[in-house]
Amino acid sequence: MVAATPNATPAVTVSARGLTKQFGNDYAVQDLNFQIQQGKIIGFIGPSGCGKTTTVRLMTGIYRPTAGEVSVFGLAPDRFDSRLRERMGYMPQLFVLYPDLSIMENMNFAASLYGMKIFGRGKRIRSLLEFVELDEHRNKLARQISGGMQRRLALASSLIHNPELIFLDEPTAGIDPILRRKFWDQFQELKASGRTMFITTQYVNEAAYCDYVGVMAEGRLLMMETPEGLRRRAFNGDVVDLTTEQPLGWSEIGQLQQLPFVRRTGGYQTGSNALRLIVEEASTAIPDIINWTNEHNIAVKSVEEYLPPFDDVFVSIVEAARAANTENQTASGLTGEEVKRG
Amino acid sequence: MGKFLIRMSAFLRKEIIEVLRQPRLILALVFGPFLILLLFGLGYTNQARAVRTLFVVQNQDSPLAAQINEYAPTISPQLVYQGMTADLEGARRMLRNNQIDMLVVVPENASETIRNNEQASFEIYHNEIDPAQISYIEYLGQVYVQEVNRRVLSQAAEEGQSDAASVQEEVSAARQNAAAMKAALQAGNVGEARSQQRQMRGNISSLALAVGASAGLLNGVEQNMGASSNQPNSAGSILSLLDSVQNNPSNTNEVVEKDNYNAEIADLDKQEKELGDLESQLAEFRSISPNVLTRPFTSKVYGISEFQFTPMAFFTPGVIVLLLQHITITVAALSIVRERRAGMMELFRVSPVTSGQTMIGKYLSYLFFGALIAVILSLLLYYGLGVPMLGSWANFAIVAFLLLFASLGIGFFISLVAGTESQAVQFAMIALLLSVFFSGFILDLRYLAGPVRIVSWLLPATYGTVLLQDIMLRGNNLNLTLIGGLAAIGVVMFLVSWLLMRRKMATG
Repeated sequence: MVAATPNATPAVTVSARGLTKQFGNDYAVQDLNFQIQQGKIIGFIGPSGCGKTTTVRLMTGIYRPTAGEVSVFGLAPDRFDSRLRERMGYMPQLFVLYPDLSIMENMNFAASLYGMKIFGRGKRIRSLLEFVELDEHRNKLARQISGGMQRRLALASSLIHNPELIFLDEPTAGIDPILRRKFWDQFQELKASGRTMFITTQYVNEAAYCDYVGVMAEGRLLMMETPEGLRRRAFNGDVVDLTTEQPLGWSEIGQLQQLPFVRRTGGYQTGSNALRLIVEEASTAIPDIINWTNEHNIAVKSVEEYLPPFDDVFVSIVEAARAANTENQTASGLTGEEVKRG
Repeated sequence: MGKFLIRMSAFLRKEIIEVLRQPRLILALVFGPFLILLLFGLGYTNQARAVRTLFVVQNQDSPLAAQINEYAPTISPQLVYQGMTADLEGARRMLRNNQIDMLVVVPENASETIRNNEQASFEIYHNEIDPAQISYIEYLGQVYVQEVNRRVLSQAAEEGQSDAASVQEEVSAARQNAAAMKAALQAGNVGEARSQQRQMRGNISSLALAVGASAGLLNGVEQNMGASSNQPNSAGSILSLLDSVQNNPSNTNEVVEKDNYNAEIADLDKQEKELGDLESQLAEFRSISPNVLTRPFTSKVYGISEFQFTPMAFFTPGVIVLLLQHITITVAALSIVRERRAGMMELFRVSPVTSGQTMIGKYLSYLFFGALIAVILSLLLYYGLGVPMLGSWANFAIVAFLLLFASLGIGFFISLVAGTESQAVQFAMIALLLSVFFSGFILDLRYLAGPVRIVSWLLPATYGTVLLQDIMLRGNNLNLTLIGGLAAIGVVMFLVSWLLMRRKMATG
């Protein structure tokens, strides 16, 4: 893998304030505020059509914002010059390289676009093709390789000029889980070599691989957090499963709810004696729960922190956002559409 | 500068690889037109079309019917005589059923019509729909009628000449009368002189009647040629002599008795001499063929080029031009619209490549591709089909380069305004159709009305066709006005395409 270019760029690589893009009367994205720090993997998660690709296009200068602003390496996209563009890599959502060129020729094309010297680029291309495991297929035409290989080729070509900041728009869409895992391994390698990456995905569980995760829905950024912070904010605390030999009675559950570190009980899990508890902090709450069961002579099978899948986290966040939206709408007497239009 | 060239080379290399990866396309583009021209050259006979002609004559016993039977089979090789009929409706049916190509209805009572000071009209019918073929039938009809007129005149002239032969004796007798009259006057024998004078007048009148008509016809021809009536042995000279002889006082004035006849004798000397001249000139007049008299002019056509042009040779420059223009317009038209549809413009917008680098790279690649086709096709036509190259190959190359440059501009313009690939192909086909009709490839530009010619001169193919015809078939040097026009189209279209590309690659 190629080492990152040493530089003196500010810690914040991308900054967006009130970033909005409208197509006609429809908002593709609305009032986005976030920052991307150097050397981090930022994942934007959300359903199809929620505005992830528009956000990438606003940051890369393909779109001009309708309102708000965005800067990359301290410059607005309409002021990007060729030197700044050379510091950025971009992998679009769809495969857009040339099907009638071979893998090697497509890589050469991408290298020439970024002004890489013709002599000596071969070594870099070969190392990248090895990195994405395409080297042995390098003479095949792009149209003759599988969809997964095409995604890897697109990734390799977006890295050809050794960019500091890489925008990857749904790089894992439509590929099998094993290959997806490989991609994320490669992203981790890139991060380790100092690259900053902005990655969009529809696969909510991929949030776990990111340093920060932005959750998008209906053109809005609902929150941006670390994966752990996301879980905590989704459920208003950590989740702990208390499994006893016998089911607890209502009075015992009521007492549990009265404990200061327990925020609420989530009920029994179907077909088991496991009572789900939402606590402030799992690491401190678990010993206290054990003490409480001992005090009440309750036979305990296990007490452990439960990490809810990000699907649940995502659903919880989106539903909470919708509920809040509906409340605001009711309070202000506006229709849903009017609220959406701002 | 280095990065500029490298980025530009991205497109140069990519486009060339993509094209070369389709060898069948190149083969079709090169050998297709070559084979079409070869087939055309082998199959096109360049012979005037034979027209099967049927004559309708109501009175088949009339002298005119006899003349048609005699004339029609020999008038022209293109007029294939199919016989004569009195059934007009039957003849029309044959025309409709494509059994004959032309129907000539001979005027009834032609001699009566002419005597009434009117022209008798042959009516000609056809069943053609192609304007060119209609013109051809009209032309053939005119040729037929002219030939009939000529033969009638020729017959009249021939009869006039034979009349002239019959009066040779009268000229001679008039001369003898003049000599005898002079001798009688010298002897003072007035009675004899008057007798000779009467005989001379009779002979001269007959002479004037016999010679006047045909000599008058020839005089008209000579005057059209610009010949003077004073020129010896001309028809004008004969008429002038005849006039002089008729108006000689020895012919007009009565002989009266007097002492001295010196003046009359002098007039008779002149009369005698002029009658002698008339005799010899009439002999010469008779020797002129009636064919020459009635059709005094013919023509011979010489091209100033040494090359014997065939239709294939004539069409070759146009085919080369049309092919190069169409290929370049089509590939350029598809080039950017395909990339736009595939989403490549997103990559270009994010990357440091500029619209100028993109356009120059694409231009260079397609210029290379077009030049390759032009070279192969031209060499095949030159060596394979023997198409002439009377001018310089360098001039040919300049025209081909500018033609490709201008055509690429149009192609890229289409590519940037078309929404889909099928739209781009349709626009390219419209450009081809325009070129077929308005570039002079089929129809000579001189047949087009002035305002329509503006369309012609907006097409690179028009400049290319005229320039390559001049270079290849006439051996001319470059026409700088046309070269300038072609280059101007190229430059304007390059700038327009570049500006459109800039807009497409700008932040949206």
